[in-house]
Amino acid sequence: MNIESPLLAHPLLVESLRPEMTIIVGILLLIIVPNLGNATVRIPMTQFRIPVFLGGERFRATSDPLIPGVISMFTLILAMASSLMTFVEGAALSTVCISANGAIQQGCTGSDYILRSDAFSRIFTSIFSFALLIGTAAMINRMPARVDAKAPHPDSSDSLKARAIRVLLNNRRQGDFHLLILFVALGMNIVALSTNLFLLFVGLELASLAIYVLVAFMKEETTSGEAATKYFLTGSVASAVTLYGMSLLYIWSGSASDYASATLNLTGPQGLAATWAAMETLEPLAAIGFGMLLVGFGFKVSAVPFHFAAPDAYSGTSSPMASILATASKAMGFTALLRVLVVMAGPELGSQAFWLPLLGLLSVVTMTWGNLAALSTENPKRMLAYSSVAHAGYLLAALAALGSGLASESTNEVLITAIVFHLLVLAFFKSGAFLILTMTEIRGDSSSMESLYGLGRRDPIIAVSMFVFMLALAGVPPLSGFLSKFLVIDGIISASTGSGSISAAGAMDWLSSVHWVFWLAVSMALNSALSLFYYLRVGQVMFFEKSKSILPLPDAPMIRITVILCLILTVISGLGPFSQTLVDMATMAAQHLLKV
Amino acid sequence: MYCILTHGGEFLNELEILTLTPLFAGLLLLLIYEVVPSSTKKQAVDLIKYANMGIAVLLFGLATQIGLENDWLSTWSSGSFGAQGSYLLESEYTSLISSIGVNWHVGIDALSYPMIWLTTLLIPISMLVQWDADKGAQFHSLILLMEGALLGVFAVLDLFLFYVYWELTLVPMFFLILVWGGEDRRYAAMKFFIYTFAASILMLIGILIVYFHSAPVSGISGTLTHHHFDIPLLMQQSSLIGSAGLRTVVFLLMLVGFATKMPSVPVHTWLPDAHVQAPTAGSMLLAGVMLKMGAYGFLRVAVSLFPQETITMIPLLIFLGMASLFYGAWVCLGQTNLKRMVAYSSVSHMGLIFLGIATMQPLGIAGALFMMFAHGIISPLLFAVCGSFKHHYHTLEIGSMRGLAHHSPFMAGHMMLGWMASLGLPLMAGFVAEVAIMIAFWMTFGWWVLIPALTLILTAAYYLWSMQRTIFESGDPHHGILPDTMHDEKPRDITWHENAGMFILGGLTILFGILPALFFEMMSNWSTGLVSEIMIDALTTLGVTP
Repeated sequence: MNIESPLLAHPLLVESLRPEMTIIVGILLLIIVPNLGNATVRIPMTQFRIPVFLGGERFRATSDPLIPGVISMFTLILAMASSLMTFVEGAALSTVCISANGAIQQGCTGSDYILRSDAFSRIFTSIFSFALLIGTAAMINRMPARVDAKAPHPDSSDSLKARAIRVLLNNRRQGDFHLLILFVALGMNIVALSTNLFLLFVGLELASLAIYVLVAFMKEETTSGEAATKYFLTGSVASAVTLYGMSLLYIWSGSASDYASATLNLTGPQGLAATWAAMETLEPLAAIGFGMLLVGFGFKVSAVPFHFAAPDAYSGTSSPMASILATASKAMGFTALLRVLVVMAGPELGSQAFWLPLLGLLSVVTMTWGNLAALSTENPKRMLAYSSVAHAGYLLAALAALGSGLASESTNEVLITAIVFHLLVLAFFKSGAFLILTMTEIRGDSSSMESLYGLGRRDPIIAVSMFVFMLALAGVPPLSGFLSKFLVIDGIISASTGSGSISAAGAMDWLSSVHWVFWLAVSMALNSALSLFYYLRVGQVMFFEKSKSILPLPDAPMIRITVILCLILTVISGLGPFSQTLVDMATMAAQHLLKV
Repeated sequence: MYCILTHGGEFLNELEILTLTPLFAGLLLLLIYEVVPSSTKKQAVDLIKYANMGIAVLLFGLATQIGLENDWLSTWSSGSFGAQGSYLLESEYTSLISSIGVNWHVGIDALSYPMIWLTTLLIPISMLVQWDADKGAQFHSLILLMEGALLGVFAVLDLFLFYVYWELTLVPMFFLILVWGGEDRRYAAMKFFIYTFAASILMLIGILIVYFHSAPVSGISGTLTHHHFDIPLLMQQSSLIGSAGLRTVVFLLMLVGFATKMPSVPVHTWLPDAHVQAPTAGSMLLAGVMLKMGAYGFLRVAVSLFPQETITMIPLLIFLGMASLFYGAWVCLGQTNLKRMVAYSSVSHMGLIFLGIATMQPLGIAGALFMMFAHGIISPLLFAVCGSFKHHYHTLEIGSMRGLAHHSPFMAGHMMLGWMASLGLPLMAGFVAEVAIMIAFWMTFGWWVLIPALTLILTAAYYLWSMQRTIFESGDPHHGILPDTMHDEKPRDITWHENAGMFILGGLTILFGILPALFFEMMSNWSTGLVSEIMIDALTTLGVTP
């Protein structure tokens, strides 16, 4: 069906972009609702005043500082629900494409389009919404808004004054924070939907700029300012490099036909993918542009050597923001990487992509660096940051296997399914771990392992949850972290063992005849074993060391409920019907990505 | 869980109830103890201990009933050996992780039933012997959890679940040693965990290589990966791995993993420390059942899937068996710590199992299986004796306490019975196993049998020597020489718990010494099936006339 009609009036628009519409409505509500007041405007040349409800003395009901949190959480829940609706309706119905000239089409067939809503985009928008939801829920207790806030009495003690001022500040910040979160959500959704590099960049920047501010948000703490500065500077340079790479690709795509066909669309008969496939020998412009893209996206997924800002950023900012960085921001980076690597620069069966050696090297260095650095750190947030780096390494290994050209169609599908599934379940347990660190942070200190000492006695349920999250991160069966790692290893081995000669008489002969991508799987297994040490160390200090603090963990009901939710999701997504549903969703996403 | 419970319509069969109950019951009882308010914790301890014991005894009854109902497994074998459908109480396939092909599939045959029966027997006895342990609620619940993990290892027919349960057994034992162990318990627990875990990783690599070579079977293999973990199906797929070199590598990887568990020299060094530092019940279970997991796994996985490599590697098996037998016995002669001596004697006896398997005779393999079973009854008795010795005399030094018979006649009696049983005195279970292996060894290797047979003399030597120094030899016809650690305490005899437990074990040793056919029948059925169906094929493939 090729219906050309004004975009905004098209019936398919709302249906396909429902989550983004929800977020925009949420943003508007968040701007309007807390500012509803009794302002009036005088009609000129009369004494008559008409009420315009924005401004003036704010109404009591709507200026409640709790409202922004409620609005943003509802918006994110609705966005996640509508993203997940795609999978309920069935794959054929759900693929919708929107092109630059406003044509909106169902079941995209090869024309130029810039936005594409299919299972791949929707599973990622669900991941983003879920991760942001968890961060928001945590922030509700981390930066609590209280209706009874008052200015401090001049005679009260310094600490009471400080506390009263903190409550007042938190009240004022609610609107800003939740608005920025929704902007992050919108930006990430645009990244997931876009098949045009420039639009992808717009979404990327929208999300990134909001994230830079959010990283610095808790300004009472000196570490967050430092973390944000480092993250912002590195991120800006990375974005600049990405943009430059995109511009090089733009030039390259049009150079054959005198720039008439220059485009940044990935798909379509004159898109970048087609031009790339038609390229016989690797042109330097394309290679350099592509490499620069890798730099930018590598920063986002915290791959070595672009990861240096990550540990400082994660450990300096507040834990809920760190959880958003570790889950949503990483997934966003991988969305972009997947689109570019698979759709644009993916190799054909039998031939190797030029970026294969580079990516293979990058993945091994990333996983090893991440694990070794995590072993030596005493700061739990820093440890989780380095473990994020290591997980990025595992996923890059899967991408490398995709680039080897050895894998059949179905094995490619398995690899992409593994990557998507891993990012999905990572959101469950990594956010859970950061949530527990939020609780210790509220008590004062989460920058040292000592804050976790004796947690088993202080709060057994939280300690057991933390231990389960650590085991899931390590990849212990039957939790979900194991399944995703296993799928990646299976994909790599299925792809590479075909290349080993069957007639090899001895194991050494066979090992020397197999493609080197096989060793990525070995490296992954060894690194997983290595990572077990620092994950188990958390369990050891929680259960076997004496607690440094006698205070119980804060009540923080929102955080506790979310931790239990994450725990349940981690456990049931490992085996059983729920796990199978998630894997099926990831498979559908992989199929949609590969069909482009 | 819902899938497993409904099974697509059928409820759980008895085997699944047997396997799943202790795991969940133990966990539940542990949680109940944590959740109970501190004012009622003291009463809760007793209740939880009785609950644990009750469940353990019921499970023993269930295991015995399974045997009785099924003609004591003497007429179970139908269809080809090891294939789907040839297992007793075989459950339906329930897909657990369908994307990679992990299914819940349990079944027993004559290889696993004696082990299952042994486990359900030893758990209540070890609970009984250490009835008065500190922190009793957690202690007994951990033992029940241990039972769940152990029964899982023996019952499952899916390699992935086998590995999960294998590692799961390490967890309760680790905590038992760490919290209730001797002075050096942290070191011993860490060494035990890390050593055996590392070896199991090698076994896992072997399992994965087999997995990646498995052929797709609809409904069972993974929907994404098209491989499966199912043991009966893997046995059907002959020529699983094309390259002979790779097959040898896999066999060796699995051998390392299983040999570490057994344990076999040279990967046995975790055992003495773990045993000496473990609490009595922990040692009883470790020696009685956990070590047998290694031999069971070797037969179930490595031998059944790679019969040709087993035959090719017979010299290696003989070397390992002889090394363990001789080295274990030789080192025992020099021990002064009673428990360490018994630990090394375990190493020595497990060497006989490799020798039995290497004979490739039905009698020999059945002898190896019976050795697993007999040792599983005798060594808990030995460790119970050591435990009560430590408990009452506060020392484990041989020769520090002399003339035990004067002060603790019951302990001395059990010690003598156990020691004699372990060195292979006829009319007790150990003798049957040893003689079967020796006869089979003679059948295959002729006069070489003299070497292991003469090594058995060493066994007698260290046992008799330690007995003489401990039970007798006080020089004084009316009193023994008490060790310094007793200070001014009066020596007592063992408590009725310990007495009862040791009596049961001693009685069973004699019972199986007189009537070994109770279990030997099913074991020789199984080994005849193994040799005549699997091994003969392998031999003909290798071009050797059997």
